[in-house]
This record gives sequence, C-alpha cells and structure tokens, in this order.
Amino acid sequence: MKAKRVTGMLLVSALSVSLFTGCGGGSGENEDGTKEFTAFFAVPGAEINDDNEIQQIIAEKTGVKVDETWLTGQTASEAVGTLIAGGEYPDFIDGGDAMGQLYEAGALVPLDDYLDDYSNIKAYYSDEEWNKLRQDDGHIYWIQQFQNIKGEEKATTQNDEAFWIQARVLEWAEYPEVNTLDEYFDLLESYIEANPTMEDGTDNIAYTILCEDWRYYCLENPPQFLDGYPNDGSVIVDPDELKIIDYNTTDTAKRYFQKLNEEYQKGYVDPESFTQTYDEYIAKLSTGRVLGMVDQWWNFAFNVHDSLKQQGLDKKGCTYVPLPITIDKGIKNQWHNSGGALNVGSGLAITTSCEDVEGALQFVDDLLGQDIHNLRFWGEEGVDYEVDENNLFYRTEEQRTQAADTAYKASHLCTYSYFPSYKGTSDDGVNANWPDEQPGEFFDSLNSSVQKCFEAYGVDTYVDMLGTNEAPGPWYPMYSFSNAMTTSTPGGVAWTKMGEIKHEYLPRVVMADDFESEWNTYMDSYDGCNPQAFLDEMQAELDRRMEEAAKFE
Amino acid sequence: MGTKNKIKTAPADRALTVCNTIFMILFVLVTMYPILNTLALAFNDGTDALRGGIYLWPRKWTLKNFITVLQKNNLITGAYITVARTLVGTATALIANAILAFIVSRKRFLFKKQLSLFWVITMYVNGGMIPTFLLYKGLGLTNSFWVYVIPGMVSAFNMLVIRTYMNGLPDSLEESAQLDGAGYFTIFTKIISPLCKPVYATVALFVAVGQWNSWFDAMLYNRMNSGLTTLQYELMKLLSSVTNQGSSAESMKNAAGSVTPETIRAAASILTMLPIICIYPFLQRYFVTGLTLGGVKE
Amino acid sequence: MSFEVKRKKEVVTEPKIQFSWKEAKRQKSLLIWSGIILIYGIIFYYLPLGGWLMAFQNYRPIDGLFRSRFVGLEKFQQLFSDATFLRVIRNTLAMGVLNLVVTFIAAIVFAILLNEVRNAVGKKTVQTISYLPHFLSWIIVTGIIHDALSGTGIVNDLLMNLNIIDQPINFFAHKEYFWPIVAFANVWKETGWNAIIYLAAITSIDPSLYEAAAIDGAGRWAKIKHVTLPGIRPTIMILLLMNVGNVLNAGFEIQYLLGNGLVQSVSQTIDIYVLNWGISQGDFSLGTAAGIFKSVVSIVLIVIANQIAKRNGDERLF
Repeated sequence: MKAKRVTGMLLVSALSVSLFTGCGGGSGENEDGTKEFTAFFAVPGAEINDDNEIQQIIAEKTGVKVDETWLTGQTASEAVGTLIAGGEYPDFIDGGDAMGQLYEAGALVPLDDYLDDYSNIKAYYSDEEWNKLRQDDGHIYWIQQFQNIKGEEKATTQNDEAFWIQARVLEWAEYPEVNTLDEYFDLLESYIEANPTMEDGTDNIAYTILCEDWRYYCLENPPQFLDGYPNDGSVIVDPDELKIIDYNTTDTAKRYFQKLNEEYQKGYVDPESFTQTYDEYIAKLSTGRVLGMVDQWWNFAFNVHDSLKQQGLDKKGCTYVPLPITIDKGIKNQWHNSGGALNVGSGLAITTSCEDVEGALQFVDDLLGQDIHNLRFWGEEGVDYEVDENNLFYRTEEQRTQAADTAYKASHLCTYSYFPSYKGTSDDGVNANWPDEQPGEFFDSLNSSVQKCFEAYGVDTYVDMLGTNEAPGPWYPMYSFSNAMTTSTPGGVAWTKMGEIKHEYLPRVVMADDFESEWNTYMDSYDGCNPQAFLDEMQAELDRRMEEAAKFE
Repeated sequence: MGTKNKIKTAPADRALTVCNTIFMILFVLVTMYPILNTLALAFNDGTDALRGGIYLWPRKWTLKNFITVLQKNNLITGAYITVARTLVGTATALIANAILAFIVSRKRFLFKKQLSLFWVITMYVNGGMIPTFLLYKGLGLTNSFWVYVIPGMVSAFNMLVIRTYMNGLPDSLEESAQLDGAGYFTIFTKIISPLCKPVYATVALFVAVGQWNSWFDAMLYNRMNSGLTTLQYELMKLLSSVTNQGSSAESMKNAAGSVTPETIRAAASILTMLPIICIYPFLQRYFVTGLTLGGVKE
Repeated sequence: MSFEVKRKKEVVTEPKIQFSWKEAKRQKSLLIWSGIILIYGIIFYYLPLGGWLMAFQNYRPIDGLFRSRFVGLEKFQQLFSDATFLRVIRNTLAMGVLNLVVTFIAAIVFAILLNEVRNAVGKKTVQTISYLPHFLSWIIVTGIIHDALSGTGIVNDLLMNLNIIDQPINFFAHKEYFWPIVAFANVWKETGWNAIIYLAAITSIDPSLYEAAAIDGAGRWAKIKHVTLPGIRPTIMILLLMNVGNVLNAGFEIQYLLGNGLVQSVSQTIDIYVLNWGISQGDFSLGTAAGIFKSVVSIVLIVIANQIAKRNGDERLF
C-alpha cells in the first residue's frame, strides 16, 4: 500500500542520514598522517575539489592540507558575528571587513612571539611593516597576504585605476600626447565624429561610467588622481605638510564634474551610465563599442579582453590602454606607484580554536618557500608550464587556456590564494612569482594593435604608459583605515552618510541642465553630513601612522 | 431543458473560452521567457555570453557549463542530504502541521482562539540570527542533520492553510462519526485526512520546495561539516565565487582572474529546477476537480 | 440566487466556548497533543525572542547577550531621528501595499482562469510552466528585467516602433517607475506559484454546486461569480490577512539588485537600511531594533485586519 511504501522510504532515508552525521571535514589528522586544518575567508572565492591534484602534491611535501571555505550569501560582518557568537572558529581565518571584530572578540592568537621561529614568515615583512600590523595591545594578530613584492618588481599591467582608451583611437589620431582631461575628451570627441559606428553599424559610445554600488569609484574618485596624488582611496594626503585633503570638494573636483556635465550635455557620455549594472557594463565593453572610461584593470580587463579576443576585435584595436591624465599640464601623475600597498586592515590569522598553532605556522612558512610557491601559482612543471634552456618559465597557448578554465582550476590548481604570497621576482632571479607578471608571457599575449601603440610611445608595458612613482609614504594607503571604519565613531557615521549623498548626487550633477545650481545643492547636502568629523578622524590616523613610522628612522 | 440554456449562454461562454485561451498563451509566453533565456545562457559559452545579446537561443553552443557544475566538489553528498531532508522534513512537517490544524479547527476545542493567536504571532516575530543560533547550539542541533528538520517542522503559515481547508469541511462529518463512537484520532485519520488530499498535497509541495532549496541553514549551522552540506549550498558556493557580486575592491584585485561566467549561474539554476519539474506532475493529480464528499448529506 | 454557496453559518452563530472539566476530559487527546506542540512552539519561536534584548543594548559579539552594555531606547531613538529611516519606512510600506494588491489580484485571476481551461493537457502544461519562474533566483530575474527595460531593451524597442515615444526612456533613472517595476517583477515571478493554493481550494468546491448553478441557468461567468469566488473566499481571506502582516517585509533582494543612486530615495527598504547601517557596521543592535519595529507594526496590522474580518463574518486568523 502507498503508506507502507512511504514509511519505508522514510526509514531508509533516516537510516542513511544517521550514517552521514559525524562524517565530514574538520581539523585533525588523517590516516596517512597529513594534518588537516580548516580555514574560512570572509570574501567570495572558489572552493577547490577534495581530490585537487596540486593540493595533494603540496600535502605530500608539507604534510598539511587545508580545507578552505569562503563567504557565501552573507556579509563578512554577519558571518564573523555568527562565528563569534558560537564561539567556535576554523583554524585559519581572514575576517575581511570584519577583521576588527575578531580581534575584539579575543578570537585570534597573537603571533609575534612565534615569528622568530619561522624564517620565511619573519622575512616576509620588514620590522617597520610588522610594526604597522600591531594592534592596540601591541601584539601582531594577522599577516596581510597581498601586495608583497620580492626582489625586482615585475609590474607590466596597470592593475589599478586609470583613464582607459581604445588603442584604435590613439592609432587614428596618430598616437598624440594626451596628458590632460580636456585633451582626453577632445580626442574622444573628434574620433567619434569621424567614426560614429563600428564596422557592423552599431554605434560607438565615446565614454561610459560605471556607478553600481561600491564600484562607483569610476565616477567619484578621479579628482584625487587628477591633482597628481596616488590612490589613498578616500582622501588626499599632502606629503609635505602631512595633512588630509578632501578630494570631493577641491576645485579640481568641481572642474572634473563640470567637464563630465559638458560632455554629457553634448551627448558624448553614455546616458545609461548611472543605471547600468556591472553585467551590462561588461557587456557593453565586450562589444568593443566603448572608446574610453575610468576603471581599475581587475574590474574589466580579464573578461573584456577575453571576449574581444574571441571576437577578433582585439586586432582591430579595441583593447584598452591607459593614459597619464591630470587636470592640467605639468602635474606629475601618480596613477601607478611601485611597491605594494600594505593593507593592514585584514590578513591571515590563527584562531584560538586551533589546536596546533605551531603546525599551522609551519605550513604558512612552507607555503612561502619558492618550490611550493611555484606550485601554487605556476602549477606543475611540465603540466601547467614549461621551462626553457635559460630556466625561464613559459606557457603554451594550450596551458594558458587551461589555466583559465573554472573546472580545471577546481580540480587541479591550488593557489591557497588567501595565504601569504609574493609578487615580484622568484628566488632564482629570473622568473616572476606570478605567471601574469612574467615578461615573456606578457609580451606574447599582447596583440598587434597594443604592440604598435607601445612602439609609437616608446614604451614596453602598460605601466610605462603612465610612468611609475615611488611609494607615497609610510601612511599609505589610507583606505585601509577608512574601509574599517564603522558607525560607532562620528567619523564613521559621517563617512557612511557621505557615501549615500555621493551616490545620489554625483549622477545628478553630471546630468543636470544647470550645473552650478545642482552642484551647490549637492555641496549643501554634503556639508550636512558633517564631513569634517570624518576628515578629523583620518587626520588622527595619519598622525598616528607617521608617529609609528618615525620609530624606525 | 438543455438546448434552451445552451443557446442562451453559448456566446458569452465562447467569448470566455477565446479570451481565456489568448490570455493563457500570452501568459505562457511571458512566463516562459525567463526560463528559455536561462536555458539559452546555460548552453552558451561563458566568454561569448559576456557581451550580451543572448535571448532565446544560444549563440555559441557548449555543454561546459553543466559539466563544470556537475563536477562541483561534494555535489553528490549534497544531493543525498537534500533528498533525505526533503523526504524526512516534508513528512514530519506535514504530519505535525496537519495534527495542529485538526486540533485548532475542532469546533468545540477549548483553547482554539488562544492557540491560534499564539501561532499567528510566530509568523511576525523573529529573535534574530544570533539568538536563534545560540538556541540551536544549546539544543545540540548544530553540526547535525536534525537542524534541517526539527526547527521548521511546525509552521504557522502551513498550519493555517490546512486549518482553513478543514474549516470548510462540514461539521456533520465529525458529529456523525462521534455518534458512531469514533475518537478524535479516528476522526483525524479515517475521516478528515482523506478529504484533505488537495491541501496536504499543497502544503507538502511548499515544504518540499522549501527543503529542496535550503542552503542558508547548511551554511549557518553545519558550515564545518562537509558531510551535511546540501545541494543548494554547494551550488551557492559555486555561484558566489562569481565575484561580480563580490563585496570589495580588495578581494577582486587580489583574485586577479576572470569572473566565473553567469552562464554557470544559469546552468546551476536549470539543474535545481529539473527535479521539481519532474516531481510536480505526480502531485498534480491531487488537485483534480471533482472531489466528492462521499456519503454525507447536508 | 438559489445556488449561491452558503458560507458556513458557524462563523455567525459561533457558540461561546465554555471551559469545563468535563469538556476538557472529552478533549483529552486534543489537549495533550496541542500541549506538546505548544511546548515546541515556545522553544523554537518564543525563546529566541530573548534576543530582542540586543535592541536595548550596545551588543558586541564578544560581550555576548548578557554582558553587552544596556542603552535603553537609544537604538530606537537613533532610528527614528534619522530622516533616511523614515523615508525607507515609507518606501517599504508603499512597495508592500502595491505588491500585496497586485500579486493578490493576479494570482486569483490566474487561478480562476486556469480552472476554466477545458483542455486537460493544456491546463497541466500551463500550470507547470506558470510556477517555473518561482525557482529562478532574483539575481537572474532582475537581470532580465533590467535588460528588457534598458535603453536598447525590448520595451523601448517596442514603444519606439509603435511610435509612442521617439527617444528611449531610461526607466531606472526615474523615480516614478521604480515601485511599479518592483510590483511587476513580483507578479511575473510569483503569480503561478501563488496561484497553487487557490487552485487547490477551487478543487475543494463541491461540484454539485456547479451542477445546481447550471440547472438554474448560470453561464460560466455567473458560475465563477457565484460559485467559484465565494467558494475560495475563506482561502483568499486567510492569505490576505497573513500577507497584510508582511507588508513591511516588502523585500530586500529586488530593491537591492534593481536600485541605483538616482532612485535611491525611493528604492531603499528597511532591510537595505539595516544592511547599510546595522549589519555592515557590526551593529547588530540596530538591526534587532528595526526588526522589533517591523514585528510590532505587523502584529498591530493583523489584529486590526482580523477584527475587520470578524465583523464581516469572514474566515479569521484567530
């Protein structure tokens, strides 16, 4: 009878379920002696398969395997808050934006006493840098994993922000010098007047802006660069007087938005700029129709350039190159700075739930060793990359395609991406630590139009188009502080309010028929947020950072 | 008798049929569009889909998206657990809600009003994520399969749906059964329940779909135990590595690689829908018109 | 009319329930079982409400529930003195009411019309297709809607081709379109699913009533009006009552995904506000305070709605 069948099914499921409870990952030792640790990173990321091949190889060499989980469907704050409430943590953790909460909850193990025992970890940062990572109680709790450059810097792509332009526009204008905002837009205007459509008849778009959510930096932060300052993110730091300047209210800011307003009224700015989603923006760029925009490389380049390549549009000059733009002639730009940006706001930490702190640190130490580092980022020799007679690493076209494949990444490649890593040059002095910084790889993958462009300007890389600058100073980057701000301080409240106001008003300012009056309305609302509280807090932090730095002079 | 009425009402009726048919066709077209679009994306190459323009048919055909999804780590375990929780969870929830609905719909039940109020309020109050987590932890439900089944078992919404239905059944059923000496248990199992098939099927469907699609509880309560993951949670993990929904510049900058295509998201969605589409026709026959109230005269 | 479904007299002439030990003994099994389930309810639904204490504290995860600093009504003051919060209440309420009305009508109309489809295969097919969008995530559905309403999307194409407009309208740049777009999105995605309950209710209507109606000369329209609708009235009323309480839960995902800076002032809901000012800042207390506010409003609304239903002799929640 039906009921019997249903009951039968239920019993079977209940029985099989009881087999599953208790199964599963967790830290401890496996039968074959490899230690297993758990790790949680409060950022989105891709899980690798249990039988991932390179993870297995690393496990054999180090005796350790780490089960990594990532942020899903929650904010970092929610995830971390729940962990703290539950009192149980994974062995490794990076709390992302909520790192501070973990520290305050006493969930993290202080690492400073262990540092001397692990040479690779100790060498990872200079004393001054380690000092920057100290918290209020004087201890170091986490290790920032990124932007650490070993040896010679091998920057080829501009992995940051810039005014981008398609190579074909520069080619058409015979590679002119474009240094100011006005020259940039003049060039876009004249190109689009002469070439209003693509080959297939679809309209070209002179300039588009992405304003979605946190990506609206494409609209709001150029003023800091236009005045020749580097990317402190939320404010300008005057390096001589060590004062905080608000880039939202400078004359340059007003000029910049006024220029955008003019161009918008003339019809050169994409009218959909202020409502388009990130997907739509990428789609637009991928059609090759957009001549120029402000953005950061990692936000568009990988997808868009892949797509352009697939359509053959890269050869037609639709690839983007950066231009060294400032507001007036003669200002030195700092779009690119050498040295990394040490973001002290978060990093890899070990929690109080970890039963084997020394084993965990030993693993981190091993991961920084050159052999394992190569396994992480280059892959397996002979499978993911080849070595030529000069000991130079290179990849075949096939290997490159394979490395980009999602399924292959999950089953074969294991970067332990949120564990500390190096950029720059390998210990062998020849190769780059990351494949995409390898000069050979870089040059091979350049298409002809970009190569022509570089030749015409007498440069070799994207970075050379902009010029490079020294690291700004010991306070850099200030955004590591503003990102961690919360509404528990008046400065934090002001910062959150300012963000809301800018989201609402900046598009209106660009679209307004009467720029002056709209700008004034915006400024009134802006002042209503009490931005001075924010600036004061930033200034206090700047002073504090300079004080700390002074100890190492 | 018949002919006279047929002639009178035919034009209005036929107009209804025509209008209805047109409406249904339009409705189906409009409703199918997102499904077909998702299907088209799921079979389209990821990089090619980036530039948009895919509507009803793939432009660059590939099976890679489905393969990537199906190769996801732990998918099989997730499927097992999901099937188990759907079966167990649906059965227990249906029984519990039906019992409560039955009790509350009895005409002379002493605490009818109070109990109804008690349960109605539960729909609009929530202690919050952290207090709930602490409660489950204290009860030993975290890191266990039973957190998927026990907490949501009795739910005011489902209970009220059943209760409304039971209220619509004639009182005479209960009365005549009691005259025959039946206790409440017998009335519930032999008299009321058989008549409640449509609403039971409805509530079973709601609960089953809810169980099938659950992932948040897997993440919150069983995060450390990969043996208790659910299908949807694994798929969500795959999708949230799609860093275009990512939360910050830092994480994207350091990921330094291409975003997992939205075509994979489409493929995952299609795979989630398939089982429901297959099961639903079996439940549908309970919604058939023509239910008779068997042997009771008003 | 003689074939009108008579609503159960019970609602009008309900006997007052008198407590007596004799009656209690009669209902022993009912009381025991409901008691067990009551305990379950207390544990799982009412015990966590102790967490509402967080709204009166400066809750920090490290201090936990019992050691966080007590701040009284400070969080509530913070909420209600913020003009932005008051604005998001307005937005949420507006979208909630609009969604409620529109999705209700759509689901009922669809259920009734579907029931009128004579072709069995057609009926089954249409119904299966109708609930499929429910399974698509909002990310996908809003992506499609956004695309369709963009400058080069189908809606603008259509309007231009029909010469209704000569310039494409950027729908998401104008505040007045946002709430209707959200309502439409809800209808599109949920109508088929919402109709399931009504379809089930329709099947429970005694077919002899239809026969009686036919004998009295009723055509299909009349049958719908006098048999079907009254027959599912209790279901409609109950669902209406329950959803009135949910009017402040108008959503998070849709508004989050479809909103932008230009329509910010009408698109932000209470949940988005809580995300921006509460959760993201690690301020769980604020989120809890907003949650309490929503709960209180919901309960007040359903009590009022329930009273109205009682006066009308309709099916009630309690």
